[in-house]
Amino acid sequence: MLDIIDEPHEMLLDNYISNIKRKKWENNYTIAEETVKLFRHFIDTIKWSTTKELLNQLRDYGMKITSALPLQFIVGNIVRRILNIIREEYIDARKNTEEEIDLQDSLHKIVSSEDDIDDYNTIVPELKLSIFEHLDEFQVEIESSNEDIAKQALEHIHSNEIILTVGKSSEVEMFLKKAAKDRTFEVFVTECAPLNHGRQLALNLSKHKIQSTLIPDSTMFGIMSRVNKVIIGVDSVMANGGLRTFNGCHAVSLAAAHYSVPVIVLAPMYKLSSRYLCSYNQDAFNEFVSPDGVLNYSDSVVSKVDVYNPTYDYVPPENVTLFISNNGGHSPSYVYRLLSEIYHPLDYDLSIH
Amino acid sequence: MLKEEVSRYYSDIMEKEPDVSASIAAISTLLKLLEHDKSETVQELDLNLQSAVEVITNTSFRVTGVSSGCALFMRFITFAKLDNITFADCKKVMLDRGKVFLKKLTEARNKVAKITLPFFVDGINILTHSKSRVVLEAMKLAVNSQKRFHVYVSESAPDKSGIEMYNCLKKLSIPCTLILDSAVGYIMERVDMVMVGAECVVESGGIINKIGSCTMAICAKELKKPFYVLTESYKFSRMYPLNQKDLPNNFKYTANNLNDDNLLNAHPSVDYTHPSYISLLFTDLGILMPSAVSDELIKLYL
Repeated sequence: MLDIIDEPHEMLLDNYISNIKRKKWENNYTIAEETVKLFRHFIDTIKWSTTKELLNQLRDYGMKITSALPLQFIVGNIVRRILNIIREEYIDARKNTEEEIDLQDSLHKIVSSEDDIDDYNTIVPELKLSIFEHLDEFQVEIESSNEDIAKQALEHIHSNEIILTVGKSSEVEMFLKKAAKDRTFEVFVTECAPLNHGRQLALNLSKHKIQSTLIPDSTMFGIMSRVNKVIIGVDSVMANGGLRTFNGCHAVSLAAAHYSVPVIVLAPMYKLSSRYLCSYNQDAFNEFVSPDGVLNYSDSVVSKVDVYNPTYDYVPPENVTLFISNNGGHSPSYVYRLLSEIYHPLDYDLSIH
Repeated sequence: MLKEEVSRYYSDIMEKEPDVSASIAAISTLLKLLEHDKSETVQELDLNLQSAVEVITNTSFRVTGVSSGCALFMRFITFAKLDNITFADCKKVMLDRGKVFLKKLTEARNKVAKITLPFFVDGINILTHSKSRVVLEAMKLAVNSQKRFHVYVSESAPDKSGIEMYNCLKKLSIPCTLILDSAVGYIMERVDMVMVGAECVVESGGIINKIGSCTMAICAKELKKPFYVLTESYKFSRMYPLNQKDLPNNFKYTANNLNDDNLLNAHPSVDYTHPSYISLLFTDLGILMPSAVSDELIKLYL
C-alpha cells in the first residue's frame, strides 16, 4: 500500500504508472481505485484559483497519464468522470438551485438559444470541499459496484438454468455466488486459453457448492445449444455499446447469437469508455503480450515461428443483449445516454482546452 | 413582406449560396420575415409565418430539409413568446435570440467534421453517395489534418450530383474515384466504411436522403461495413415513416411532377433508410446511435 501523504507527487505518479505497466494491479477495480486516489492527491497538491485553471491542469495531467498508459481505458474513464464531477459541483454552486442541471448539448438548448457559455472563471469558495465530498461518494460507488451488480443476480438467474461464462471475472464470480444463495443452477466455464483463468473460476465456484463444469474453449459451440444464458465480464464498454473484452468472447457471442441465447454483460459504470473502435487496425486498442502461454520458451520451435498472443476481443453491440451495471440493466442502444450522463462532451478529447 | 418577396428571398439563397442547406435557407428567410413583420399580436405573427412556410414549401426546390427547419423555427418562436408580456418586448427578444439561434445552427457542420476526424483511419477507403456538404466538410478537415484516404463517389442519378461531389473532392486533391450507381454492390467489398449525409433524419433514427442511399445501406449491412450518417441536428424531424410509401409526395417529387396525374412514371428523388442499417449518426450533439434521435426530439417537442 502506498503512503499517499508523505511521498512527493512525482514519485507517487511513477509508482502508479509502473505498477500498472508491470501488471502489479491486474484487477481493473484496483486500477480504478488507485486512479481516484492519485487524482485526489493531485488536486490537493496543485495550486489553483478558478475552476478553469483546475480543469485545465487536470486535463493536462490526465493527458499525461493516459498517453503513458494508452491501453488502460479505465484511467481515461476515471479522469473524465472526475472532470465531470468538478463541472457539476461548480455549476451546482453557481446556480444554487435544486433543479437538475443538464450539461449536455441538446436540440432543445439550441432552439431555446440559452446562453450556456459559462467560462468556469468565477471563484467559488468551498468548491474544493464539495469536490472532495463528491469524490468520496465516487470512491464508495467504485468500492460497492461489484456488490451492487451482484444484488441484481436473482432477477437474471433462475432455478435449474445453465449458465455459460468465459474466463474469470470478479464481477461474474460475485454475481454467481450471490445467486447461488437462493437458486440452484449449473455453470459451464470455458478455460479461456492461453491464460486459463477459467480454471480458477471453476475451482472457486465449486468450493462455493455451485455445480460447475470446466470446458475447453473449442467445445463452446457444442455446449451452446444447452445453455440458457451467457454471462460475461468485460474490460471496457465502448461508446457504441460494443465490448473490449478477453479473447474468445466474440466467438462465444456469435455462438450465442446462432442459438439465440441472451448474452449478459456485467459492467460497472467506471468501465464505460467514451472511445469508439474506428478500425481493427486502430492503435492502442489491443495488447499483444508474451507468447509464453501459447508456446513454451524451452520449445526449440519458438525461434522458427511467429507467435501472436493478443489480449482482447472486440464484440460488436449487436451481439450483446443486456448490460448490468451498478445502476441497473441497460440495453446496448442506451449506452450513449449513460455516457452523456457521466462525462462532459468537452472532456472526450483531453488535449483541447 | 409579401409572398413574392419571401419566395424570391428564399430562391435567392438557394441559388446563390450552394453552401447553405435548405433548412438554414428556410430559417433565415423566416428570420428576415420576422424582422420586417408589422403584426401586432402573436397570433397574427403566427399566421404570417405559417403562410410564409407554405410559400417556401411550394417553391420549385426540393422540400425535404425545409420541413424540419420550419418546424424548428416555429418551436423557437413558441419558446420566445412564452417569456415576455408585451408583444414589442417579445419581438425584440425573438430577434436577438434569432441571431444566436442561426449562429448555433451554422456552427453545426464544423462540429460534425471535428468529431468524425478520428474515424478517418490511415489508408481507409470510403464510399459516399451523392453530394453532401457535411461529408465534404469532414473530408476537407481530414485531408487538411494530413489523413490519407481514398473516396469512392457514386454518380447518383438522375441529377448526377455525385459528379459535383467528385469535382469538389478533386479540387481538394483528395484521391477519389467516380463509380456508377449500379456498381455499389461491386465496390462494397473494397471499402472500409460508408459515409453519407442526410436531407432529413426521422424519429426512428432512419434517414431520408438522395435516392440510392437505401440501396447502399442494405449493401453495406450485408457485407458488414459500417454505415455512418453525417448530419446536423436541425435536420431531425418529427416524422415516423415505416416504409417508402409513407414518405410524403412533396418530398419524393418536385412541384412540377406533383401536378402530373400519373406519379407512377415520375422518379422519386429521395428514399428512406431504415435505422437498422445505420451504424452511427455523427451530429453536432455528438455521436449518436439511431435510437437517440427520438430522445432529442421528445426533449424538444414535449
